[in-house]
Amino acid sequence: MKEAEATGRTAQEAVDKALSSLGIKPENADIDIISEPGQGLFSFISGKNARVVVKVRYEPAQYLQHFLKGVLERMGVEGKVALSEDEEKIYASVNGKQTGVLIGRRGKTLNELQYLANTVLRRQFEGFHKIVVVDVENYRARREQTLTKLAYSIARKVSKEGHEQALEPMTPQERRIIHLALQEHDEVITYSRGEEPYRKVIIAPR
Amino acid sequence: MKQLLEFIVKALVDEPDQVEVRQLEAERSVILELRVASGDMGKVIGKQGRIAKAIRAVIGAAAVKDNKRVMVEIVK
Repeated sequence: MKEAEATGRTAQEAVDKALSSLGIKPENADIDIISEPGQGLFSFISGKNARVVVKVRYEPAQYLQHFLKGVLERMGVEGKVALSEDEEKIYASVNGKQTGVLIGRRGKTLNELQYLANTVLRRQFEGFHKIVVVDVENYRARREQTLTKLAYSIARKVSKEGHEQALEPMTPQERRIIHLALQEHDEVITYSRGEEPYRKVIIAPR
Repeated sequence: MKQLLEFIVKALVDEPDQVEVRQLEAERSVILELRVASGDMGKVIGKQGRIAKAIRAVIGAAAVKDNKRVMVEIVK
């Protein structure tokens, strides 16, 4: 877990420095005052300065909530972040006003935000291995429905016309939805082609 | 937008107190100059620029809300 040590003319000044270097607020930190100004066993070394150690207090899920709330706040979006967690995933669900800006075209912004959230948690917590899923206004569930419908309708067309068709580029999660939707289909098969981030699903006659 | 960029980058780097953002405003666009400790450069850029791309996408979304074009420049 991250921590910062700082010195200052007063304990408060040192705490403020440490907090701002961590980029967190006091309520999110454990603060340890090592020495007051001009006091303590080592005052002959540290001189008149106060020394403090500030630790980031969160568990990963709370940290994620703090991170997402911080992003929302600074984007001027009002919203709530609800969390659920299991052995493999932390799921953060954002709901509020004007949250569409967080989703972006075809979920692009949401996917990038999710990527950042995963990266940040791995940086802040050594050994963190869960997958962070960020959703806004249930977008992912709705997208799954849309993609499943799309898969069926393209599959119909492919089996009728007899030649394969490529879908637009999608994320691995989105491609998986298509593959799963059609894996039991009698008349078509699916596979992926191309390199990330342009990799796309091909639906072909069986 | 400056605050948003600072907030995100501070969560990514080892030395958050070295994070510095300068905001340069033009009429319809904003340039955000980001400076981080030299050891943290890779942490904000990522393999093949993957992290920088994600940062730009999120900042870009914030800019859409403000009806502006934004460029994030990572400077040495």
